Amino acid sequence: MMKISTTSTELRRRGLLRFARTAALVLVAQMSGLAAPGAGAMTESEAGARAVISETVDEVLAVLRDKSVPTEQRIRSLEQIVYGRFDLYVMSRLVLARNWKRFSEEQKAEYVEEFKQYLTNSYGSRIERYDQQEVEIIGEREEPRGDVVIQTKILGGEFDGALIDYRLRKQEAGWRVIDVVIEGISMVSNYRDQFKSIVSTGGPELLLQKLKEKNAAGMVIDKTSAK
Amino acid sequence: MGFCGGDPAPRTRLAALAAIAAALSAGIACAPVSGPRDPSDPWERMNRGTFRFNEGLDRWVIEPVAKGVDFALPDPVERSIAKFFVNSRIPIHFGNALLQFKPVSAVEDLARFLVNSTIGFAGFFDPASHIGLEAHQEDFGQTLGVWGVPAYPYLVLPIFGPSSPRDAVGLAADSFSTVYPWFVPLYVPFAIGVGDRLNWRSLKLDEIASEREAALDYYVAVRNAYLSYRENQVRDQKDEVTDDEDLYYID
Repeated sequence: MMKISTTSTELRRRGLLRFARTAALVLVAQMSGLAAPGAGAMTESEAGARAVISETVDEVLAVLRDKSVPTEQRIRSLEQIVYGRFDLYVMSRLVLARNWKRFSEEQKAEYVEEFKQYLTNSYGSRIERYDQQEVEIIGEREEPRGDVVIQTKILGGEFDGALIDYRLRKQEAGWRVIDVVIEGISMVSNYRDQFKSIVSTGGPELLLQKLKEKNAAGMVIDKTSAK
Repeated sequence: MGFCGGDPAPRTRLAALAAIAAALSAGIACAPVSGPRDPSDPWERMNRGTFRFNEGLDRWVIEPVAKGVDFALPDPVERSIAKFFVNSRIPIHFGNALLQFKPVSAVEDLARFLVNSTIGFAGFFDPASHIGLEAHQEDFGQTLGVWGVPAYPYLVLPIFGPSSPRDAVGLAADSFSTVYPWFVPLYVPFAIGVGDRLNWRSLKLDEIASEREAALDYYVAVRNAYLSYRENQVRDQKDEVTDDEDLYYID
């Protein structure tokens, strides 16, 4: 009896301590955030990655603004701009994670192609919804193992204030985007979760089949945006 | 991946309705779950059942009505209404910012409320953002998160949608601590909740339709989005280094 009550007091004390530590940490973070918002010089990596995002944003916005060009052609230009700065190979691989090893060389190549088409179909149709939004680069940070995250914010329109982070990795050809994180929701992580259960039920074949089916169905058109 | 912006669910005391819905959804056969279990979703079988019920409710009731709303009101008006609802919840955000030891956010919230409720015409406009006052939208689910309660297990609530035991408690606590409903008949907060939800849904028509169509597994896509979004809200130190070994290095 004695022993048990000592343990529970001990536990409660530890819980309180942890609670107090959390409180202190959060308070300090709040105060320091007030004092120095994003101070400090940019590293070389951060500057390099930032330049890539800033160019991409400018080029993409230029295409989106020019509504005189037919949609199909604009999607092709966007593909060129975006895929030129994305490392789709790394991205596709990260999405599959451990399952990557279960794919044969041919299946890998096929999967990267299908995944790319799938991304185009999923996001391409949205260009019709562009409504004069702007993109502001609000910060950058270098991660411990050398990747750089560029933080951006959407200004205006439906997603006013939305925060979008781009994660870039240095490749031979330069900085390339390997993930897009919208309000904390990572594209790589989201597709990884979805693809994981498919591969574990039906292997690489089932995932390839499902991607092909989606791609054959064509672009996801906003049926509701008739107005 | 567009489940961002605004509060995840409108909050009113819909307890009675939720209970009916729970009873209904319990009678719906659950989908067989294949593949590995996600550690954050031990109740996947039940959740998929509830999710399917919610999807049905959305397809047959909520989405059609929201389309009507969308047809009647231009988007800028809907966005303005959404701002009004967000503004009306600031007292809750203020209290939660304090409970999370974030005095700066609390003061900023209070200032936003004062500015937007007056020169922002009861919150239909958002001049506070134009003068650099940031919104924080802290709720009690996040407060519990800051105190160390995890966001999982994932739990799909009937009608309310994606949640967790933590966030369900948060939702209840926030609803009960809203003062005005205690002085008005129950149908007033109920109507406000329904109005908020329908208005929000009418803003998300395109977004949700394309997500539904694009996803290979919509249930998993929503689960991942919800858990990541909530975790991000709790963390809310945007400059925090988050090198995620598991996510970005697979060898």
